[in-house]
Amino acid sequence: MNASTQTLLSTLLEPLSSVSFASLNMGTLTPMLIVIAGALGILAIDLIKANMDKTLYVMISILVLVIDFIAVMGMSDVISVMGAQRGFFDVMLIDGLAILSQLIIIVASMLFIPLALTGKRFHEFAYPEFFALFLFMIAGFQFMVATDNLILIFVGLETSSLALYTMIAMHNRKKSFEAAIKYFTMGALAAGFYAFGAMVLYAVSGSVELAVIGEKISQAGVENIYMYLLVASAFMLGAFGLKLSLVPFHTWTPDVYEGSSAALAGYMSIVPKIAGFVVAMRLFELLTQSGVIWLDYVLFTVVVVTLTAANIWALVQTDVKRMLAYSSISHAGFVMAAIYLGTTQANSALFLYWILFIFTNLGAFTMLWVSRQKKVAETSEDHPFSKFSGMIKTTPIAAVSMAIFMLSLAGVPPFALFWGKIYMIGSAIQANELALALIMAINSAIAAYYYLKLILYMFFKEPVNDGSVYMINSSTSLKSIIGFALFMTIIAIMYVDPVLQFVTDAVQASGY
Amino acid sequence: MMDHILSFLVFFPLVAGILGFIVNKDSIRAYGLSVAAIELFASLALWFNFDMSHSGIQFVEQASIVSAFGINYFLGVDGISLFIIIMTTFMTFIALLGLSETPRIKNLIITVLVLEMTMVGVFVALDAILFYLFWELSLVPMLYIIGAWGGPKRIYASIKFFLYTFTGSLIMLVGMIYIAHMYYTLTGQWSFSLMDWYTMTFYDLNVQFWLFMAFFVGFAIKVPMFPFHTWLPYAHGQAPTIGSVILAAVLLKMGTYGFVRFSLPLFPDASVMMMMPIAVISVIMIIYTAMVAYAQEDIKQVVAYSSVSHMGVIVLGTFALNVEGISGSIFLMLSHGIVSGALFMLVGVIYDRRHTKLMSEFGGLASVMPAYATIFGVMLMASVGLPLTIGFVGEFLSLLGFYKVSAPMTVFAGTAIIVGAIYMLSAYKKAFFGPVTNPENAHLSDLNGTEKWALIPLVLVVAWLGVYPKPVLGPIDHSVKALVQFMHDNAVTEKAKAIIPAPLADANKGEDN
Repeated sequence: MNASTQTLLSTLLEPLSSVSFASLNMGTLTPMLIVIAGALGILAIDLIKANMDKTLYVMISILVLVIDFIAVMGMSDVISVMGAQRGFFDVMLIDGLAILSQLIIIVASMLFIPLALTGKRFHEFAYPEFFALFLFMIAGFQFMVATDNLILIFVGLETSSLALYTMIAMHNRKKSFEAAIKYFTMGALAAGFYAFGAMVLYAVSGSVELAVIGEKISQAGVENIYMYLLVASAFMLGAFGLKLSLVPFHTWTPDVYEGSSAALAGYMSIVPKIAGFVVAMRLFELLTQSGVIWLDYVLFTVVVVTLTAANIWALVQTDVKRMLAYSSISHAGFVMAAIYLGTTQANSALFLYWILFIFTNLGAFTMLWVSRQKKVAETSEDHPFSKFSGMIKTTPIAAVSMAIFMLSLAGVPPFALFWGKIYMIGSAIQANELALALIMAINSAIAAYYYLKLILYMFFKEPVNDGSVYMINSSTSLKSIIGFALFMTIIAIMYVDPVLQFVTDAVQASGY
Repeated sequence: MMDHILSFLVFFPLVAGILGFIVNKDSIRAYGLSVAAIELFASLALWFNFDMSHSGIQFVEQASIVSAFGINYFLGVDGISLFIIIMTTFMTFIALLGLSETPRIKNLIITVLVLEMTMVGVFVALDAILFYLFWELSLVPMLYIIGAWGGPKRIYASIKFFLYTFTGSLIMLVGMIYIAHMYYTLTGQWSFSLMDWYTMTFYDLNVQFWLFMAFFVGFAIKVPMFPFHTWLPYAHGQAPTIGSVILAAVLLKMGTYGFVRFSLPLFPDASVMMMMPIAVISVIMIIYTAMVAYAQEDIKQVVAYSSVSHMGVIVLGTFALNVEGISGSIFLMLSHGIVSGALFMLVGVIYDRRHTKLMSEFGGLASVMPAYATIFGVMLMASVGLPLTIGFVGEFLSLLGFYKVSAPMTVFAGTAIIVGAIYMLSAYKKAFFGPVTNPENAHLSDLNGTEKWALIPLVLVVAWLGVYPKPVLGPIDHSVKALVQFMHDNAVTEKAKAIIPAPLADANKGEDN
């Protein structure tokens, strides 16, 4: 790796003309370039002919994502033969993790963008900029996961975050502005933390590449630079705590979810987090492996506290969306355990869990999205539990779907998340963390209560309305998305095996 | 057909239940009954094709679900599970037959069919995760039955039922994963297959003890053992008749079956270690719930507490750790299923007519409803364990088994059964004998056609197996002997080997280690 730094330095010093194009390995950049081109294309279409319908932009976004998907799969074939690839002055790093997380990001984005095709009109979808921002954001996430260069991670992180802030603010609710500002402020804080952490790491190692940093740390001896590493990991933990909404950095999450549209809230509960997890995995496992034992203890505490406290807060929520916000904090805590454990099995469990989580959470948030009313006079909440009273009697199919999503979130077999849960608990036991495994199990039992609460409202209470409100915002596309999510949640038992195989191979090949 | 009969038994009710959504709601009862009848015949076919001379697992089906994590689709039956499966399909059929007019009957029948799938699944699964899957899934239909068709406090009762069992079984799940991991450290391969687990010996007694406890929490809540029993009276009190019948007849047996299938063979030393504490809890459970039953004014609560009390005898027999005790407890599971199911149905019959379950409202029913009173009387006798009824065989064997272990404890438990006879008879006296004091009772109609059709088969079974239990007891005994021998061989400590007999020792002489 030392040699690669030297080549990096020498290439930087040489005039650009002497750099051969082949050495840039542009294949590593292609997926991101495709998405960026797609975003620019959308803007160009608007320039040529304004006021096109949102269906056009949704479909263009999906097509771009399909091409993106194919490009990533192409890279996946390359690395399966030739091992991890570096490119573009060695700042890009395409390994199994990068491929896997890009695939997850792309698939999740493809599933979420059709949620714009609502029955009712929402003005943010009338702007093509919304879709351009969406694609820019995906490019940002892809950059984040496909590099081990601290600066490029930062650029990716900020690109995606800035796009996301704007998209939240475009929703026409007073609370949306509040949410966007809150998210922006917290995001700025996280960016500051991140920059500080990166700066300290640069100071001790003279490099911004994680691989080199690891090498320099072991050369210098951890005990000599322990204080610096402590500071760096503390800042990094703050930064990722804010991004991944780990307790005690989670306070923005419920408010931001509440202010955003349910579609975007669901998206935020999944895609930014998987990008964050991959970077956290690269960074924290490097630090813990170089001997920052302190970080191990702190990570353990963060995992346990996030898991438990978020569950307890979720118990007392009166709004389903806020409940789901806390629940997604708790789920993030659950998979954060993988980063604490750091074994191959745990890291595979993280990806398996998140893939299964996509389908279930997609379904749950889409169910909220289709019941989004224009104006709610009597209550400040969009989705209070009482709104779902007696849903089974008016819209039985919707109620059963929602119930299955809740059961899956609670970890009732054979629905999707159960398989992620047992594999994660299994990896905790494999790493000899029996206490952690028990805490995970008991938390699943606590969580069952609040998921069950919604089921109780839907199935056992008397209806409060004629049921039209539950599907008020639906369209064929949205119904298909719910159907797809439901299908994937129910038949998880069929595809867990191949997915796990694929995930384990990718994680193992990247050396995590 | 016979190769995949177990898969058929598991998935037929599910598929039929889903198709049931298409059936018109006026015809759904006939549909549900047909499905339950086919299921019952299929389980009887299983019995007739079962090789009685063979004590091991039969009709094995195996396929991989998650190969990297060692989760398999692994089904099989032996003499222990065979009759519990038949009892399950039989009681489901009878419960559907006796179902009275209910709102939203279509949803109820479909839910019962789905529940039947999960119940059969629990008893045929030989992979721990598959077992856990059906075990947990069975909570959902039951939650719906209690919550949607229950009494005024149904929501509280249903959520208490769900959370109690869910919590217990999650701890059991951690235990299961731990064992799979131990298998991994031994062989380099994860496995949740029970047959693979049986090949391991847990030499570290500490580990064995804590694993035993993890499983114990899951099973004890389900049974439910004192002091985890508090969810059950609520669940029974609020559940509709069909819910109580299935809960008492089948769902509770999952816990005791779990002891026999998992705890005993896997952890023989821990079982010996915990033998006396569990026996003490069981005796407390028998006596305490019998006393509580005596104080009840609601006839359904009397039946509910007496059902818990008899579950105590089952656990006591199981933890005698000898052939008589375990065989007796399995037989008692069957008889308890039939008898307590029948008693809950009988309570449902009177509730349909009077819409009250308070005994003070009744009195003199014997003169108004003679057929009803007769059947109630027969079931009552079976419940208290009168000789020549089905209840006697299991109770006698269970106590006999434990008598070999500890005579004083058995005397206590036996006394409790007599107390049981007192409260049941006193409840019977209050409700059925004496003059008709309440004018509302004067013109109650006796059992109608469907109720008779539902209850008379139960009476026949009670009499048949009470007089001649051999066809059922034989295969059970056969498999239990193998189980006890296995425990003896698998035990680590000399103390455990001394306590657990070796019934097949003559056959396997020299193989003892």
